[in-house]
Amino acid sequence: MSTAEKTPAPARAGVRERRRITDEHGRRVRGWELVLRYVLLLAVLALTVGPFLWQLSTSLKGPTEDIFTSPPRFLPSRPTLHNYERVSETIPVWDYVLNSLKVALANVVTNCVGAALAGYALARLRYRGRRAATLVFILAMLVPAEGIIIAQFTTMRELGLNNTLLAVVLPGSVGALNVLLMRNAFLNVPYEIEEAAYVDGANVWQRFWRVALPSVRGTLAVVAIFAFMFSWDDFLWPLIVLSDPSKYTLTIGLNYLHGTFANDERLVAAGTIIAVAPLIILFACLQRYFFRGVGEGAVKG
Amino acid sequence: MPLSRRALATAAVIAVVLPLSACGSGDDTGGSSDASGKVEGDITFQTWNLRANFKSYFEGVIAGFEKKYPDAHVKWVDQPAENYADKISADAAGGTLPDVVNVSPDLVAPLAKAGLALDLDKSASKYKKEYLPGAWASHQIPGVKGTYAFPWYLNTGPLFYNKALFEKAGLSPDQPPKTYDDLFADALKISDRTDGKVATLANVPTIEDFGRYGVPLMNKEGTGFTFNDAKGVELLTKYKELYKVKALDPQALTATPESSGRKFLTEAVAMNPGSALDLGNFKKQAPHLYKNIGITDQITSTGHVNMYVMGVMVNSRTKHTPAAVAFAHYVTDAEHQMSFAKKVAIFPSTAGSLEDPYFTKEDGTDETRVRVAAAKSLKTAVNYTPVLFSDQMKTELGNSVARALQGKQSPQEALDAAVKACDRLLQQQG
Amino acid sequence: MATSTVTRSQGPGRPDRPGPLGRLGRLARPGGAAGRTPPPAVRVRRQLVTSPWLFAAPGLLITAVFILYPFVSTVINSFTDRRTLLPGHYVGLANFRELLHDDMFWIGLRNSTVYVLGVVPALVILPLLLALLVQRNIPGITFFRSAFYTPVVASVVVVGLIWVWLLDERGLVNSLLEAVGVGKVGFLSDQWLLLFSAMTVTVWKGLGYYMIIYLAALANVPRELHEAAAVDGAGAVRRFLTVTVPAVRSTMVLVAALSSVAAFKVFSEVYLMAGPNGGPAGEDTTLVMLVQRTGTGLSGRVGYASALSLVVFVVAVVLMLLVLRADRREES
Repeated sequence: MSTAEKTPAPARAGVRERRRITDEHGRRVRGWELVLRYVLLLAVLALTVGPFLWQLSTSLKGPTEDIFTSPPRFLPSRPTLHNYERVSETIPVWDYVLNSLKVALANVVTNCVGAALAGYALARLRYRGRRAATLVFILAMLVPAEGIIIAQFTTMRELGLNNTLLAVVLPGSVGALNVLLMRNAFLNVPYEIEEAAYVDGANVWQRFWRVALPSVRGTLAVVAIFAFMFSWDDFLWPLIVLSDPSKYTLTIGLNYLHGTFANDERLVAAGTIIAVAPLIILFACLQRYFFRGVGEGAVKG
Repeated sequence: MPLSRRALATAAVIAVVLPLSACGSGDDTGGSSDASGKVEGDITFQTWNLRANFKSYFEGVIAGFEKKYPDAHVKWVDQPAENYADKISADAAGGTLPDVVNVSPDLVAPLAKAGLALDLDKSASKYKKEYLPGAWASHQIPGVKGTYAFPWYLNTGPLFYNKALFEKAGLSPDQPPKTYDDLFADALKISDRTDGKVATLANVPTIEDFGRYGVPLMNKEGTGFTFNDAKGVELLTKYKELYKVKALDPQALTATPESSGRKFLTEAVAMNPGSALDLGNFKKQAPHLYKNIGITDQITSTGHVNMYVMGVMVNSRTKHTPAAVAFAHYVTDAEHQMSFAKKVAIFPSTAGSLEDPYFTKEDGTDETRVRVAAAKSLKTAVNYTPVLFSDQMKTELGNSVARALQGKQSPQEALDAAVKACDRLLQQQG
Repeated sequence: MATSTVTRSQGPGRPDRPGPLGRLGRLARPGGAAGRTPPPAVRVRRQLVTSPWLFAAPGLLITAVFILYPFVSTVINSFTDRRTLLPGHYVGLANFRELLHDDMFWIGLRNSTVYVLGVVPALVILPLLLALLVQRNIPGITFFRSAFYTPVVASVVVVGLIWVWLLDERGLVNSLLEAVGVGKVGFLSDQWLLLFSAMTVTVWKGLGYYMIIYLAALANVPRELHEAAAVDGAGAVRRFLTVTVPAVRSTMVLVAALSSVAAFKVFSEVYLMAGPNGGPAGEDTTLVMLVQRTGTGLSGRVGYASALSLVVFVVAVVLMLLVLRADRREES
């Protein structure tokens, strides 16, 4: 997959006879098969993206347009951004976005650093107790979050951190799943590369920073996206730990909106779009790295 | 694996030591119950989902208070509607409860039992006469001496119905049901004549419905529930009939107040309780419904409509008792309740306020008509929901009602089970 | 032990390299890592003794303080009758004994189990098919891949709101069904349909996530295998069964393990669709919902809810071990 991605398809095809569409193994894809593929792709597309578009369409419908008609009308008759304006009049939505952004970016940094370091230790460094350390992360993954949230809150209070954005960040700052993801990525890097660096006299830190880390950039991108998503979506924990409205994150803000205007589908829809859009944009920007990270194994194949 | 064993040992040590250290902390930061000192210090005031609509109102109230008492400073926080109890319980358990908290009677009960709410009969009895006697009593807890919150705003509302749907079913759009018998009869007719397409009710009966139907909910001592008597069974049996023919919406078993509101909005359901606030909503969102809206009184067998009560509680551990009590009173005094009532369709709980022309004079609009009627009915209104009825009990009752409606249990069996479960939860509350 | 099916089918000489996530599932198995053939670079092991712990320290610290420590206090609470605002007393195994007689507990256990049985097969198979569909580098494929991932990106609350509206009695799905002549279906009122609807949402939201994991694994399937099979005249279906499935088998196990643990701990989807009470008469309550319902709020029974959490945890561990054991048995 990634080989194909690196070489633009037309260029590669040019080497062969004519421009044509090939599969990941360089074989020609037959016409009917291609049509079938696109039909299936479009069908799945309708299923996955359709609901979001319906929400978007609802958010663009004006106050005079009946949104409960049946059969449903997919396109707003007179699209308007009025609902978005109302959202920002009702709640300081941009402050909330900023708070969410701070928390999410902090989470991305701590997860990338913490998970990469821990993952490297688990995968590469041979030391006693490594298995126990691995087990700690696996167990952490299995703990049901809803069951420990109050205990987490009391812990946070004992540390004097409640009602701070730091408290929102900390519990998820080095996710167990991310550590295990990084561990697996490092396990996939051939030992020979690091061995060569070792022979050249590189110490642990240098081998980690200059050799190992660059070869798992893709997984790092995956971890970054997971961390961002997780923190952007988190609801119950920030709600419990924050009490000062000026520190609220977007999910709590939206809950406000939903609580106050539960019956105004348009407003709620606009709010949800505001919540989803940054993630979709972020993902669209990073997806190249993301999919490369996912296919990392093959890069060196 | 020597190290794994060591890790285990470490874990065991952590397990034993840490929780002990956790137990040792906190819980001793007590405040005094004496409210007679100087009004000074920084206090925090927490409201329940009021920021979105009433930001300027509360900022004005706080500014007024700080002007009156220059040494006091109030920080206002507002919490979202959902998970409010979770938020309060986390704060209460963690010792971070704000000084002045917006509560409802069922929220204040566990706080008072845990000694976290200030007894106003001791600290603020001089204000008692400013409030309607019934409202003042609404934050008293059976089995516990004292009053634990200032009464704040009250709310009640009419029953809305959809005239077009009534007409479609061959009922007179100007003769809405007035009694429970009428209601059940009309509901059966509507579902019969629309082949079950139009339901009349969207909600299963809750504890307040049992109360309104005249079912005794608790014994006098407040030590046990009694809603499984003949009257309770009768109400549930009626609802079961309605459910069978889809006169009670088939989705009622999973409905929330907002989902049933939406059913009414989409004209899938013919009747829904509401408040004056809803009228604007209908106008904006469902113009067709608004044209056909009918407004009638809440149906009761007792002659007393149901009301919701909000209160303002003072944290017993506040470091600035005089300021916290003074502010809680300031927010809930006649002047500020009145100005709040003029902002939104709620009603003041202060003595005499409901005699204000704002609540007695009609001007021909639907909004005013609803307001005047509600204010009138509030004079005899009752908060049916028992103060001790916790969320867990609501769930038990809801589940039993659902089992009865589905025919898995007879109404009598279901209510017996609910009473048993609620009594057990009541005892555990201690 | 270290040689998974992937490596074996790749033949000797290939580096031991399962997908990026391929080893995750193996960790919980005793003896898993110990049996691993020592890598060529044994020399690398001679480190400064402290550095590995320094590397792992931030992660371990955070996990210990914010996950394991609260969990340990949960374990301790499970032997008390603690309530949200009142301190508890030691009650021995009373909470666990009460569990056995609590109808809601059995309903929760049933629903969580049903959820695993319903969701896991779908999440093991469908994303694999989807990965095969988007694997080929045809024009526009990156768009499709990203688009299929959007449900993963959206928050579960948003997803819940969207689907409740779609499946409403007057929602899009029902009006389409009525147009086809099927008539209205009570997706959100029937006990089993509700659970099924929630499962649909879980699968819908999980498709993209597991698709990505499969894509990674598929990238590791050597093309020679496909080519050899093609030369042998194997059709698409046979190639899928004889080449693809064995090659990604360890990933399928991983997906099964991850998705079954997640499915057993399901909360949000059912909570959002069936409501906080868990559907009609609470019949759709899952175990974690029960934990949340009994343990939170001002009258929350923290002790009893802690006992419930502990049961959830133990079952999740057992589930993971079972999936991995099944894997090992098949392998040998």
